[in-house]
Amino acid sequence: MDFVLSQLTGFGSAFAALVIDPLTYVYLVTSVFLGITFGALPGLTATLAVTILTGFFGNKIPLDYSMIALLGAYVGAIYGGSYPSILLNIPGTAASAATAMDGHPLAKAGRGGEALGLTTTASFIGTLIGTVALLIFVWVLLLISKNIASPEKALLALFGILLSGTLMSEDLVIKGWIAGLIGLAMAMAMVGMDPLLSEPRYTFGWSYMLSGFQVVPVLMGAFAVPQIIEGMRHVEVGKMIALQGRILPNFAAVRRHMPTITRSGVIGTGVGALPGVGEDVAGWVSYGVGKTVSKDGKNFGKGSLEGLLSSETANNACIGGALIPLLVLGIPGSPPAAALMGAFKINNVIPGPTIDPAIILRVVAIMVLASFTMWILGLFTARVFIKILRIPQTVFLPVVMVLTAIGSFSVGGGINDLYLMLGVGFVAYFMNLLKYPIAPLVIGVILGGLFDETFRRALFLSDGSLGVFVSRPGAAVLLALNVALVAAQIPMIRRPFQRRDRKDA
Amino acid sequence: MTSNDQLLQSEAADREAQQILRARDFWGALVLLSLSVFFLWRTSFIPLWGENRAGVKGGDWYNSAALVPLGLFSAMLVLSLVLLRVAVREGGAKRALSSVGIGWNRAEAMRFTTLAVILFFYIAGLVPRVDFILCSGLLITALIYGYHGGHAARMVLAAAVVGLAGLYAMALNLPRAEWAQHDDDWLVLALWIALTAWVVWHERGRRLARVIPVIAIIAPTLLVCAMAFGFRQNVPNRGGLIFKQIEYHYYVTLKPIWSGK
Repeated sequence: MDFVLSQLTGFGSAFAALVIDPLTYVYLVTSVFLGITFGALPGLTATLAVTILTGFFGNKIPLDYSMIALLGAYVGAIYGGSYPSILLNIPGTAASAATAMDGHPLAKAGRGGEALGLTTTASFIGTLIGTVALLIFVWVLLLISKNIASPEKALLALFGILLSGTLMSEDLVIKGWIAGLIGLAMAMAMVGMDPLLSEPRYTFGWSYMLSGFQVVPVLMGAFAVPQIIEGMRHVEVGKMIALQGRILPNFAAVRRHMPTITRSGVIGTGVGALPGVGEDVAGWVSYGVGKTVSKDGKNFGKGSLEGLLSSETANNACIGGALIPLLVLGIPGSPPAAALMGAFKINNVIPGPTIDPAIILRVVAIMVLASFTMWILGLFTARVFIKILRIPQTVFLPVVMVLTAIGSFSVGGGINDLYLMLGVGFVAYFMNLLKYPIAPLVIGVILGGLFDETFRRALFLSDGSLGVFVSRPGAAVLLALNVALVAAQIPMIRRPFQRRDRKDA
Repeated sequence: MTSNDQLLQSEAADREAQQILRARDFWGALVLLSLSVFFLWRTSFIPLWGENRAGVKGGDWYNSAALVPLGLFSAMLVLSLVLLRVAVREGGAKRALSSVGIGWNRAEAMRFTTLAVILFFYIAGLVPRVDFILCSGLLITALIYGYHGGHAARMVLAAAVVGLAGLYAMALNLPRAEWAQHDDDWLVLALWIALTAWVVWHERGRRLARVIPVIAIIAPTLLVCAMAFGFRQNVPNRGGLIFKQIEYHYYVTLKPIWSGK
């Protein structure tokens, strides 16, 4: 009880400090608005929103305002993806792909206003569920994480990369793993001076490479450049369904759907807490569970409100979940959280067991304010965002290119960062073309340094004994998980299980 | 056409797309294989077994800087071999040498090549050497005009204009010491005006003709001013033709007014 009270008191004072500062509202409204715009425009993603804003706000304003801007954009972008899903049947972000399944049929049936209003409210409640989980579990995990040493950290980083590669691949799983390895290879610790012995690696005699690759240009290259190349084509803007009905939700309807919203919020938070797994997986998992357990399951895909709320609540709840491993272990729970980690790094804040507890409380307070701002903007300015949907990609993407160039330049302050961004961008474009997922690459870039350093430190402390990865219970469990994840993809091991499943069927 | 026929047709299209992907995977696996071998060879340059350096014993194998890269590129080698096997088994190798097999699309190749030319010359040639507002204005004009509507001739024109500007800047002002020269700024300004005039003339009466110049002027000017004066950050090519004037008047003409000096 004391623990809960102290948490609430800490949160209350962080919240009050933000509420009385007028600048908070300037950053909140601007960033949430920009976030919803990025999410609403098909071709721009939540990760891109956070990455581009990192270029602008990352290390140029006090950390508190920087966090408001980035978290506001994150919350707004995940929600904003629902607009084109419902009105155009085109998901604005991958996280809203499941939303289109029921949102568009609802809009076609003349219930677009109702769908948008409920989606906005469900996203708001979902974000709050994730945030409450963040407030509670981050402290429990922080206490546990005091016992997490180098072997566990190394195995957890590897698990994050493998899990992200496994779940984010739309073709072969090994493509996800290869993307993760490419990210690891690009990571700061693989290129430049090695962190333990200061041995130069893969610098090819170029002094710029001695300090390793900067995170922000790599993120911008990986997310912005392929989107720009892919999006610069003539696409007839889909026929937008005119919004009918009032957007302001009927609270009796919200109350009626509360069990679905709560269940989806919990699922979204849980999926978000898994290292490297993003909002799109959360949306689909919750949609799948909803279809199985809901009384309305047979109508999923035909315009079911339950289906719509299952995915939309979960993808927003995932944000709070994704911040748990980020803040506790320094392992991002989703690709936008990886971009957020980049912003923390350039501000010299190292997420993990040693993080300043005040930062966590401020993150929670910002999340509450950002979700509230998103709710208000979503309900009262929805028609503005619907107008934004009409802007063709070929008009806004050139501006995004200029934004990316100046943002990337200003973070590192050098022209070499722009060359790096472009190079990574072309590599990422070809990876997209060959159906390699980009999320594991980014997770690899973010976790590469951690993996390299902790893996070698673990061996160093055990005088080279590999037993250190099995003698500690936590490490043994994580090693087993890693092995199981890889083994589950080996055909020889899969076959007996598949045969058994077929027999059971 | 019955829904059954449609289903069969979409299944055939999916199968074809899958086979194209495997043919591309075949080449992708070969590239990954070569890169893995190359980087494994480069890893051999990093001491693994704790060599002596100037009489001082280096680290042991387990804390060598080569350890993780060695594992990483070995894993990449194994995975690329697995991918190669999958690609060959699913018929990718057989189709890999024909343009139809890899799904070559002339229009798409043209679109990508022109975009690659524009982005390369913008980043490598223009941003370091030419005023940011000018080169970004030219980029925005070229990209919107070139790609809105999907006309191949416009794409080529857009790439030619940005390519010419970038090539000039790189050819005449390649070393860093010459980045402050303004001849390339003037050329970019002339090309930007010419392209804008072309767009306004050919698209007269259409919304595009009104929108492009407005976006091309306002977006980069706002961004560069926000970055330089709002966030007080470095911006590319501070001594550029236009930005130099803006910066001068900001500090010499405007700032004293609101500072009361």
